[in-house]
Amino acid sequence: MFALLGTNGAGKTSTVEVVEGLSRPAEGSVRVLGHDPFAERKLVRPRMGVMLQEGGFPPDLTVSEAARMWAGTLTSPRPVDEALSLVDLAHRAAVRVKQLSGGERRRLDLALALLGKPEVLFLDEPTTGLDPESRRNTWELIRALLREGVTVLLTTHYLEEAQALADRLAIMHRGRIVAQGTVSEVVDAYPSRISFVPPEGIALPVVAEVESSGRVTVRTNELQSTLHGLLVWAQHNNVELSGLDARSASLEEAFLAIAEEAA
Amino acid sequence: MKAVAVGQAELKLFWRNRTALFNSLLLPLLLAPVLYSVDADGVPLVVGLIGFALLMAVYYNLVTTFVARREELVLKRLRVGELTDPEILAGAALPSVVVALGQMVLYTVVVGVITGVALPTRPWFLLLGVLGGVAVFVLLAAASSAFTRTVEMAQVTSLPVLMACMLGSGLIFPLSVLPEVLASVLEYLPLTPVLELLRAGWVDGPVLKPLIVLAVWIVLGTYAVQRWFRWDPRR
Repeated sequence: MFALLGTNGAGKTSTVEVVEGLSRPAEGSVRVLGHDPFAERKLVRPRMGVMLQEGGFPPDLTVSEAARMWAGTLTSPRPVDEALSLVDLAHRAAVRVKQLSGGERRRLDLALALLGKPEVLFLDEPTTGLDPESRRNTWELIRALLREGVTVLLTTHYLEEAQALADRLAIMHRGRIVAQGTVSEVVDAYPSRISFVPPEGIALPVVAEVESSGRVTVRTNELQSTLHGLLVWAQHNNVELSGLDARSASLEEAFLAIAEEAA
Repeated sequence: MKAVAVGQAELKLFWRNRTALFNSLLLPLLLAPVLYSVDADGVPLVVGLIGFALLMAVYYNLVTTFVARREELVLKRLRVGELTDPEILAGAALPSVVVALGQMVLYTVVVGVITGVALPTRPWFLLLGVLGGVAVFVLLAAASSAFTRTVEMAQVTSLPVLMACMLGSGLIFPLSVLPEVLASVLEYLPLTPVLELLRAGWVDGPVLKPLIVLAVWIVLGTYAVQRWFRWDPRR
């Protein structure tokens, strides 16, 4: 899985639309499964599945009618019931689309993207509007697809989603890729953080930022040794570091730092 | 044809849409007396009813259908599937066209039997008129939908074509009552050549000019759709 992340208006959806073959690239070239997705749409489309950020279905069709319509347009669809079961919508098959919740509509959209047994799957914010349980289920489904060998291009606002699922990712800002690599490659460029609340009036052995609440944050590229030094110092001086929290940089921090740098 | 799957879904939606049912199925029946008062003779009545079916069941219905599917993001969704653009439009248009064709056959047979219309002597012109008319009004509907923001607005944006065709193509009153200059201009409206071809199925009349005018409208309509049709809602 490749995840495309970015600030709002960075151009993620436009980029994905070019890759999906919805629009022609202004310059350069795009290849999906070895073909030009715009000019050779007929060759590429039967092998890919797309879940748009905003896709729609006629509100007066039922879930199974909408899925059957979609299946009818495909070269080699999987059974409609199977696709609906994959996204936990089988029990809603007879319900009109307009009566579905936002999260259920997202899952219907995902079911349609999976109907054609795609080799390449485009997911544009697939879990937006899903409750935490459905999101976990969707993640499990995506993991299962990845194990089957499906290639996934994901765009998402949820950084933990990219962190949990993606093999590689890129961060976009104002139409340009500003960072890319595996999750750890992107994250490792950013310092880890140690934060705690020290007793008042004590001089710390490390450089730290102090918040108004009294909590201090230490940034370090060597989490283990810095933390060790701090703990030894605290032990030695009998200092209590309350609310101690030490963590490696997360994708979220990397992302925020990149957005800030670039701004 | 994969587009048929879209057509089947559209047909279901058509039966669930009361406005569309009324416009397509009942309105022409209400208009029959009006047409009858214009010309009680059998052939003009048949031609007039076919003209109305083209305007209401094909054109007006499809303007609203295209706008509704665009605003519901259905067209956008279909566009990332396997269907080509013309297949999507054809699929969406299919039920309206089928319903319109069914009506035309029904009216022709019923009116024909009641008023004793003879079988068309040149049925191929009739067929050309119907097929050409369907093509033109499907294309015009797609083009009009591009200038229509909401389904409600379709009542307004479809008026120019509807009014021009109803008043200017001899449906409500015969063109012969108009000054000759005006009448000759109105020959270039999209519905006029269709009606002339339909008439030519029974009675001798000009066919070459209507065929050319109709062909030009089909070309213009195709160009307009390629140029302006919107697959996404306006932002």
